[in-house]
Amino acid sequence: MSKTLIWFFATALAFGCGGAPKPEARLSSDEGAIRGAKEGGADNVPEAQLELTLATEQRQKALDLIQSGDNHRAEMMLARSEADAELALALARAAAAKADAQRAEDSVESLKRKADQ
Amino acid sequence: MKAMMISIAALVACGSPLPPKELVDAREAYLKAQSGPAQKFVPAELHVAGESLAVAEKAFTDDAKSQDAIDDAYIALRKIQRAVALGEAAEAEDAKTRADREAGRTQREMLSSEEQKLRATQGELAKERESVEKAREETAAEHAARLAAEKKAQDAMDALAKTLAVRKEDRGTVITLSGGVLFATGKADILPGAQTQLNQVAEALKTQAEHHFTVTGHTDNQGTDAINDDLSTRRANAVRDYLVVHGVSADAITAQGMGSHQPVADNHTAEGRAMNRRVEIVVDPDKR
Repeated sequence: MSKTLIWFFATALAFGCGGAPKPEARLSSDEGAIRGAKEGGADNVPEAQLELTLATEQRQKALDLIQSGDNHRAEMMLARSEADAELALALARAAAAKADAQRAEDSVESLKRKADQ
Repeated sequence: MKAMMISIAALVACGSPLPPKELVDAREAYLKAQSGPAQKFVPAELHVAGESLAVAEKAFTDDAKSQDAIDDAYIALRKIQRAVALGEAAEAEDAKTRADREAGRTQREMLSSEEQKLRATQGELAKERESVEKAREETAAEHAARLAAEKKAQDAMDALAKTLAVRKEDRGTVITLSGGVLFATGKADILPGAQTQLNQVAEALKTQAEHHFTVTGHTDNQGTDAINDDLSTRRANAVRDYLVVHGVSADAITAQGMGSHQPVADNHTAEGRAMNRRVEIVVDPDKR
Protein backbone atom coordinates (compact mmCIF):
# COMPACT_ATOMS: atom_id res chain seq x y z
CA MET A 1 0.00 0.00 0.00
CA SER A 2 1.41 3.30 -0.98
CA LYS A 3 2.08 6.09 1.53
CA THR A 4 -0.60 8.27 -0.09
CA LEU A 5 -3.25 5.62 0.41
CA ILE A 6 -2.32 5.19 4.04
CA TRP A 7 -2.66 8.96 4.55
CA PHE A 8 -6.10 8.92 2.89
CA PHE A 9 -7.46 6.22 5.18
CA ALA A 10 -5.95 7.77 8.28
CA THR A 11 -7.45 11.16 7.52
CA ALA A 12 -10.84 9.67 6.72
CA LEU A 13 -10.81 7.83 10.03
CA ALA A 14 -9.91 10.98 11.93
CA PHE A 15 -12.69 13.08 10.38
CA GLY A 16 -15.47 10.53 10.75
CA CYS A 17 -15.39 9.03 7.39
CA GLY A 18 -15.18 12.24 5.29
CA GLY A 19 -16.96 14.84 7.71
CA ALA A 20 -15.52 17.67 9.89
CA PRO A 21 -14.48 16.78 13.45
CA LYS A 22 -16.86 17.42 16.33
CA PRO A 23 -16.39 21.12 17.28
CA GLU A 24 -15.35 20.48 20.88
CA ALA A 25 -13.51 23.78 21.33
CA ARG A 26 -16.41 25.80 19.97
CA LEU A 27 -18.89 23.89 22.12
CA SER A 28 -16.84 24.80 25.14
CA SER A 29 -16.28 28.46 24.26
CA ASP A 30 -19.97 28.90 23.39
CA GLU A 31 -21.02 27.36 26.66
CA GLY A 32 -18.70 29.77 28.47
CA ALA A 33 -20.08 32.73 26.54
CA ILE A 34 -23.69 31.82 27.39
CA ARG A 35 -22.82 31.30 31.06
CA GLY A 36 -20.94 34.62 31.09
CA ALA A 37 -23.91 36.45 29.60
CA LYS A 38 -26.25 35.01 32.23
CA GLU A 39 -23.84 35.90 35.04
CA GLY A 40 -23.45 39.37 33.54
CA GLY A 41 -27.17 40.04 34.00
CA ALA A 42 -28.34 39.51 30.41
CA ASP A 43 -31.51 37.88 31.73
CA ASN A 44 -32.52 41.18 33.31
CA VAL A 45 -32.06 43.45 30.28
CA PRO A 46 -34.74 42.98 27.57
CA GLU A 47 -32.52 43.49 24.48
CA ALA A 48 -29.79 41.35 26.02
CA GLN A 49 -32.32 38.69 26.96
CA LEU A 50 -33.39 38.44 23.30
CA GLU A 51 -29.81 37.83 22.19
CA LEU A 52 -29.33 35.29 24.95
CA THR A 53 -32.44 33.44 23.83
CA LEU A 54 -31.12 33.37 20.28
CA ALA A 55 -27.78 32.08 21.52
CA THR A 56 -29.45 29.28 23.47
CA GLU A 57 -31.67 28.30 20.55
CA GLN A 58 -28.76 28.23 18.13
CA ARG A 59 -26.68 26.16 20.53
CA GLN A 60 -29.53 23.64 20.64
CA LYS A 61 -29.62 23.58 16.84
CA ALA A 62 -25.87 23.00 16.83
CA LEU A 63 -26.27 20.07 19.21
CA ASP A 64 -28.93 18.63 16.91
CA LEU A 65 -26.61 19.06 13.91
CA ILE A 66 -23.83 17.25 15.79
CA GLN A 67 -26.25 14.42 16.47
CA SER A 68 -27.02 14.24 12.77
CA GLY A 69 -23.30 14.27 11.94
CA ASP A 70 -23.12 17.71 10.30
CA ASN A 71 -20.22 19.02 12.35
CA HIS A 72 -19.34 21.84 9.97
CA ARG A 73 -22.80 23.39 10.14
CA ALA A 74 -22.79 22.73 13.86
CA GLU A 75 -19.58 24.69 14.26
CA MET A 76 -20.98 27.63 12.31
CA MET A 77 -24.17 27.53 14.39
CA LEU A 78 -22.08 27.49 17.56
CA ALA A 79 -20.10 30.48 16.27
CA ARG A 80 -23.39 32.33 15.75
CA SER A 81 -24.55 31.30 19.23
CA GLU A 82 -21.30 32.51 20.76
CA ALA A 83 -21.51 35.85 18.92
CA ASP A 84 -25.08 36.27 20.20
CA ALA A 85 -24.06 35.45 23.77
CA GLU A 86 -21.14 37.87 23.67
CA LEU A 87 -23.45 40.55 22.30
CA ALA A 88 -25.95 39.81 25.09
CA LEU A 89 -23.22 40.32 27.70
CA ALA A 90 -22.09 43.58 26.07
CA LEU A 91 -25.69 44.87 25.97
CA ALA A 92 -26.16 44.00 29.64
CA ARG A 93 -22.93 45.80 30.53
CA ALA A 94 -23.96 48.85 28.50
CA ALA A 95 -27.39 48.97 30.17
CA ALA A 96 -25.84 48.73 33.63
CA ALA A 97 -23.20 51.35 32.84
CA LYS A 98 -25.82 53.73 31.45
CA ALA A 99 -28.00 53.28 34.55
CA ASP A 100 -24.98 53.92 36.80
CA ALA A 101 -24.05 57.03 34.82
CA GLN A 102 -27.62 58.32 35.01
CA ARG A 103 -27.69 57.80 38.76
CA ALA A 104 -24.36 59.61 39.13
CA GLU A 105 -25.57 62.53 36.99
CA ASP A 106 -28.84 62.72 38.95
CA SER A 107 -26.82 62.75 42.14
CA VAL A 108 -24.70 65.66 40.87
CA GLU A 109 -27.82 67.61 39.92
CA SER A 110 -29.32 66.96 43.33
CA LEU A 111 -26.12 68.12 45.04
CA LYS A 112 -26.00 71.27 42.94
CA ARG A 113 -29.60 72.08 43.80
CA LYS A 114 -28.74 71.62 47.47
CA ALA A 115 -25.65 73.80 47.11
CA ASP A 116 -27.72 76.56 45.49
CA GLN A 117 -30.23 76.57 48.34
CA MET B 1 -22.43 54.50 2.00
CA LYS B 2 -23.08 56.08 -1.36
CA ALA B 3 -20.05 54.27 -2.85
CA MET B 4 -21.32 51.02 -1.41
CA MET B 5 -24.74 51.52 -3.00
CA ILE B 6 -23.07 52.23 -6.35
CA SER B 7 -20.98 49.06 -6.01
CA ILE B 8 -24.05 47.03 -5.19
CA ALA B 9 -25.92 48.53 -8.15
CA ALA B 10 -22.97 47.71 -10.40
CA LEU B 11 -22.89 44.14 -9.19
CA VAL B 12 -26.61 43.75 -9.79
CA ALA B 13 -26.22 45.19 -13.23
CA CYS B 14 -23.50 42.67 -13.99
CA GLY B 15 -25.75 39.87 -12.88
CA SER B 16 -23.86 39.25 -9.62
CA PRO B 17 -25.94 37.87 -6.73
CA LEU B 18 -27.21 40.33 -4.13
CA PRO B 19 -25.47 40.20 -0.76
CA PRO B 20 -27.49 38.62 2.06
CA LYS B 21 -29.39 40.96 4.39
CA GLU B 22 -26.97 40.09 7.23
CA LEU B 23 -24.03 41.38 5.17
CA VAL B 24 -25.84 44.56 4.17
CA ASP B 25 -26.75 45.18 7.82
CA ALA B 26 -23.20 44.46 8.94
CA ARG B 27 -21.73 46.90 6.42
CA GLU B 28 -24.13 49.66 7.54
CA ALA B 29 -23.56 48.93 11.20
CA TYR B 30 -19.79 49.06 10.76
CA LEU B 31 -19.92 52.39 8.94
CA LYS B 32 -22.10 53.81 11.67
CA ALA B 33 -19.93 52.38 14.44
CA GLN B 34 -16.85 54.11 13.06
CA SER B 35 -18.32 57.49 13.92
CA GLY B 36 -19.71 56.43 17.30
CA PRO B 37 -18.30 55.90 20.79
CA ALA B 38 -16.84 52.50 19.85
CA GLN B 39 -14.19 54.20 17.71
CA LYS B 40 -13.19 56.45 20.60
CA PHE B 41 -13.49 54.12 23.57
CA VAL B 42 -12.99 50.54 22.27
CA PRO B 43 -11.05 50.81 18.99
CA ALA B 44 -9.55 47.32 19.44
CA GLU B 45 -13.02 45.74 19.68
CA LEU B 46 -14.13 47.64 16.62
CA HIS B 47 -11.02 46.48 14.78
CA VAL B 48 -11.85 42.85 15.62
CA ALA B 49 -15.40 43.45 14.35
CA GLY B 50 -13.95 44.92 11.16
CA GLU B 51 -11.87 41.79 10.66
CA SER B 52 -15.03 39.69 11.03
CA LEU B 53 -16.68 41.82 8.38
CA ALA B 54 -13.70 41.20 6.09
CA VAL B 55 -14.09 37.47 6.64
CA ALA B 56 -17.79 37.77 5.76
CA GLU B 57 -16.98 39.78 2.64
CA LYS B 58 -14.47 37.13 1.55
CA ALA B 59 -16.95 34.33 2.19
CA PHE B 60 -19.49 36.19 0.07
CA THR B 61 -16.92 36.73 -2.67
CA ASP B 62 -15.88 33.08 -2.57
CA ASP B 63 -19.39 31.67 -2.64
CA ALA B 64 -22.15 34.25 -2.57
CA LYS B 65 -24.93 31.71 -2.13
CA SER B 66 -23.34 29.62 0.60
CA GLN B 67 -24.76 29.35 4.12
CA ASP B 68 -21.25 30.05 5.43
CA ALA B 69 -21.36 33.50 3.80
CA ILE B 70 -24.66 34.22 5.59
CA ASP B 71 -23.32 32.86 8.89
CA ASP B 72 -20.11 34.87 8.65
CA ALA B 73 -22.15 38.03 7.89
CA TYR B 74 -24.42 37.24 10.87
CA ILE B 75 -21.41 36.80 13.13
CA ALA B 76 -19.78 40.01 11.80
CA LEU B 77 -22.97 41.95 12.46
CA ARG B 78 -23.10 40.64 16.03
CA LYS B 79 -19.46 41.52 16.65
CA ILE B 80 -20.01 45.03 15.31
CA GLN B 81 -23.09 45.40 17.51
CA ARG B 82 -21.05 44.11 20.42
CA ALA B 83 -18.33 46.69 19.75
CA VAL B 84 -21.01 49.40 19.61
CA ALA B 85 -22.50 48.22 22.92
CA LEU B 86 -19.08 48.08 24.55
CA GLY B 87 -18.37 51.57 23.22
CA GLU B 88 -21.59 52.82 24.75
CA ALA B 89 -20.76 51.09 28.02
CA ALA B 90 -17.32 52.71 28.08
CA GLU B 91 -18.83 56.08 27.21
CA ALA B 92 -21.33 55.70 30.08
CA GLU B 93 -18.53 54.65 32.44
CA ASP B 94 -16.61 57.74 31.39
CA ALA B 95 -19.67 59.90 32.03
CA LYS B 96 -20.09 58.28 35.43
CA THR B 97 -16.45 58.93 36.30
CA ARG B 98 -16.85 62.59 35.34
CA ALA B 99 -20.11 62.84 37.28
CA ASP B 100 -18.52 61.23 40.35
CA ARG B 101 -15.62 63.66 40.10
CA GLU B 102 -18.01 66.57 39.82
CA ALA B 103 -20.05 65.26 42.74
CA GLY B 104 -16.89 65.07 44.80
CA ARG B 105 -15.94 68.60 43.82
CA THR B 106 -19.44 69.88 44.60
CA GLN B 107 -19.42 68.09 47.96
CA ARG B 108 -16.03 69.58 48.79
CA GLU B 109 -17.30 73.03 47.85
CA MET B 110 -20.42 72.53 49.96
CA LEU B 111 -18.30 71.33 52.85
CA SER B 112 -15.99 74.28 52.49
CA SER B 113 -18.95 76.64 52.39
CA GLU B 114 -20.45 75.00 55.49
CA GLU B 115 -17.10 75.27 57.25
CA GLN B 116 -16.90 78.96 56.40
CA LYS B 117 -20.41 79.49 57.71
CA LEU B 118 -19.54 77.54 60.83
CA ARG B 119 -16.39 79.59 61.38
CA ALA B 120 -18.37 82.79 60.88
CA THR B 121 -21.00 81.60 63.34
CA GLN B 122 -18.32 80.60 65.81
CA GLY B 123 -16.76 84.04 65.43
CA GLU B 124 -20.09 85.72 66.02
CA LEU B 125 -20.74 83.50 69.02
CA ALA B 126 -17.31 84.31 70.45
CA LYS B 127 -18.00 88.04 70.00
CA GLU B 128 -21.42 87.61 71.55
CA ARG B 129 -19.93 85.71 74.46
CA GLU B 130 -17.26 88.37 74.88
CA SER B 131 -19.91 91.07 74.78
CA VAL B 132 -22.07 89.24 77.34
CA GLU B 133 -19.03 88.70 79.56
CA LYS B 134 -18.07 92.36 79.27
CA ALA B 135 -21.62 93.45 80.09
CA ARG B 136 -21.65 91.05 83.03
CA GLU B 137 -18.36 92.46 84.29
CA GLU B 138 -19.61 96.00 83.84
CA THR B 139 -22.82 95.17 85.65
CA ALA B 140 -20.86 93.55 88.44
CA ALA B 141 -18.54 96.55 88.60
CA GLU B 142 -21.50 98.93 88.63
CA HIS B 143 -23.16 96.89 91.33
CA ALA B 144 -19.99 96.87 93.40
CA ALA B 145 -19.54 100.60 92.86
CA ARG B 146 -23.13 101.22 93.85
CA LEU B 147 -22.77 99.12 96.97
CA ALA B 148 -19.55 100.93 97.83
CA ALA B 149 -21.20 104.31 97.21
CA GLU B 150 -24.19 103.32 99.31
CA LYS B 151 -21.95 102.10 102.08
CA LYS B 152 -19.93 105.28 101.92
CA ALA B 153 -23.13 107.33 102.04
CA GLN B 154 -24.47 105.31 104.92
CA ASP B 155 -21.17 105.60 106.77
CA ALA B 156 -21.23 109.37 106.21
CA MET B 157 -24.79 109.61 107.48
CA ASP B 158 -23.94 107.37 110.45
CA ALA B 159 -21.00 109.60 111.27
CA LEU B 160 -23.23 112.64 110.95
CA ALA B 161 -25.81 111.06 113.23
CA LYS B 162 -23.25 110.97 116.03
CA THR B 163 -23.13 114.76 116.22
CA LEU B 164 -26.39 115.90 114.62
CA ALA B 165 -30.03 114.89 114.68
CA VAL B 166 -30.62 112.63 111.74
CA ARG B 167 -33.88 110.77 111.27
CA LYS B 168 -35.78 108.97 108.58
CA GLU B 169 -39.17 110.27 107.57
CA ASP B 170 -41.51 109.68 104.65
CA ARG B 171 -40.14 112.79 102.92
CA GLY B 172 -36.57 111.41 103.26
CA THR B 173 -33.65 111.56 105.63
CA VAL B 174 -33.89 114.73 107.67
CA ILE B 175 -30.78 116.37 109.12
CA THR B 176 -31.64 119.01 111.69
CA LEU B 177 -29.26 121.82 112.62
CA SER B 178 -30.01 124.03 115.56
CA GLY B 179 -30.65 127.65 114.62
CA GLY B 180 -28.92 128.78 117.77
CA VAL B 181 -25.69 127.11 116.71
CA LEU B 182 -25.79 128.35 113.13
CA PHE B 183 -26.87 131.95 113.47
CA ALA B 184 -26.90 134.86 115.86
CA THR B 185 -30.36 136.05 116.88
CA GLY B 186 -32.17 137.79 114.01
CA LYS B 187 -29.18 137.19 111.65
CA ALA B 188 -28.62 135.02 108.63
CA ASP B 189 -24.83 134.92 108.68
CA ILE B 190 -23.37 131.57 109.55
CA LEU B 191 -21.41 131.64 112.75
CA PRO B 192 -17.80 130.47 112.57
CA GLY B 193 -18.54 127.89 115.24
CA ALA B 194 -21.11 126.25 112.96
CA GLN B 195 -18.71 125.63 110.12
CA THR B 196 -17.44 122.34 111.49
CA GLN B 197 -20.96 120.92 111.55
CA LEU B 198 -21.77 122.27 108.12
CA ASN B 199 -18.54 120.87 106.71
CA GLN B 200 -19.56 117.45 107.99
CA VAL B 201 -22.98 117.89 106.39
CA ALA B 202 -21.40 118.91 103.08
CA GLU B 203 -19.17 115.82 103.08
CA ALA B 204 -22.14 113.58 103.85
CA LEU B 205 -24.29 115.13 101.10
CA LYS B 206 -21.51 114.76 98.56
CA THR B 207 -21.65 111.00 99.08
CA GLN B 208 -25.28 111.10 97.97
CA ALA B 209 -24.83 113.04 94.80
CA GLU B 210 -27.68 111.18 93.08
CA HIS B 211 -30.25 112.62 95.43
CA HIS B 212 -31.89 116.01 95.67
CA PHE B 213 -31.63 118.08 98.85
CA THR B 214 -33.98 120.66 100.24
CA VAL B 215 -32.80 123.15 102.84
CA THR B 216 -35.67 124.61 104.89
CA GLY B 217 -35.31 127.42 107.40
CA HIS B 218 -37.64 127.57 110.43
CA THR B 219 -38.13 130.15 113.20
CA ASP B 220 -40.04 130.32 116.46
CA ASN B 221 -43.17 132.42 116.61
CA GLN B 222 -41.50 135.48 118.05
CA GLY B 223 -42.01 138.46 115.74
CA THR B 224 -44.22 138.87 112.72
CA ASP B 225 -44.67 136.24 110.02
CA ALA B 226 -43.17 138.59 107.47
CA ILE B 227 -40.00 138.90 109.47
CA ASN B 228 -39.88 135.22 110.28
CA ASP B 229 -40.59 134.17 106.70
CA ASP B 230 -37.84 136.44 105.40
CA LEU B 231 -35.38 135.40 108.10
CA SER B 232 -36.01 131.70 107.57
CA THR B 233 -35.58 132.10 103.82
CA ARG B 234 -32.31 133.96 104.17
CA ARG B 235 -31.00 131.41 106.65
CA ALA B 236 -31.97 128.55 104.35
CA ASN B 237 -30.21 130.26 101.46
CA ALA B 238 -27.14 130.91 103.60
CA VAL B 239 -26.87 127.24 104.44
CA ARG B 240 -27.50 126.26 100.85
CA ASP B 241 -24.80 128.62 99.61
CA TYR B 242 -22.35 127.36 102.19
CA LEU B 243 -22.95 123.78 101.15
CA VAL B 244 -22.56 124.64 97.47
CA VAL B 245 -19.30 126.42 98.16
CA HIS B 246 -18.17 123.26 99.94
CA GLY B 247 -18.81 120.93 97.03
CA VAL B 248 -22.52 120.11 96.94
CA SER B 249 -23.91 120.46 93.42
CA ALA B 250 -25.96 123.69 93.04
CA ASP B 251 -28.36 121.83 90.77
CA ALA B 252 -29.07 119.29 93.49
CA ILE B 253 -30.00 121.63 96.28
CA THR B 254 -32.82 124.11 96.80
CA ALA B 255 -33.71 126.34 99.75
CA GLN B 256 -36.94 127.66 101.18
CA GLY B 257 -38.06 129.51 104.27
CA MET B 258 -40.97 128.14 106.24
CA GLY B 259 -41.08 130.91 108.87
CA SER B 260 -42.78 129.72 112.03
CA HIS B 261 -45.41 127.68 110.25
CA GLN B 262 -43.99 124.21 110.96
CA PRO B 263 -43.07 124.15 114.66
CA VAL B 264 -41.76 120.90 116.09
CA ALA B 265 -42.11 122.00 119.73
CA ASP B 266 -44.12 124.23 122.00
CA ASN B 267 -43.41 127.91 121.35
CA HIS B 268 -44.57 128.80 124.89
CA THR B 269 -41.36 127.54 126.40
CA ALA B 270 -37.83 128.75 125.81
CA GLU B 271 -36.74 125.19 125.15
CA GLY B 272 -39.52 124.65 122.64
CA ARG B 273 -38.73 127.85 120.82
CA ALA B 274 -35.06 126.88 120.68
CA MET B 275 -36.05 123.60 119.05
CA ASN B 276 -38.27 125.38 116.56
CA ARG B 277 -35.41 127.65 115.49
CA ARG B 278 -33.71 125.28 113.16
CA VAL B 279 -32.56 124.47 109.67
CA GLU B 280 -33.51 121.12 108.17
CA ILE B 281 -31.83 119.47 105.25
CA VAL B 282 -34.02 116.83 103.66
CA VAL B 283 -32.41 114.18 101.49
CA ASP B 284 -35.02 113.16 98.91
CA PRO B 285 -35.47 109.36 99.03
CA ASP B 286 -35.83 109.19 95.23
CA LYS B 287 -32.82 109.60 93.03
CA ARG B 288 -32.65 112.54 90.68
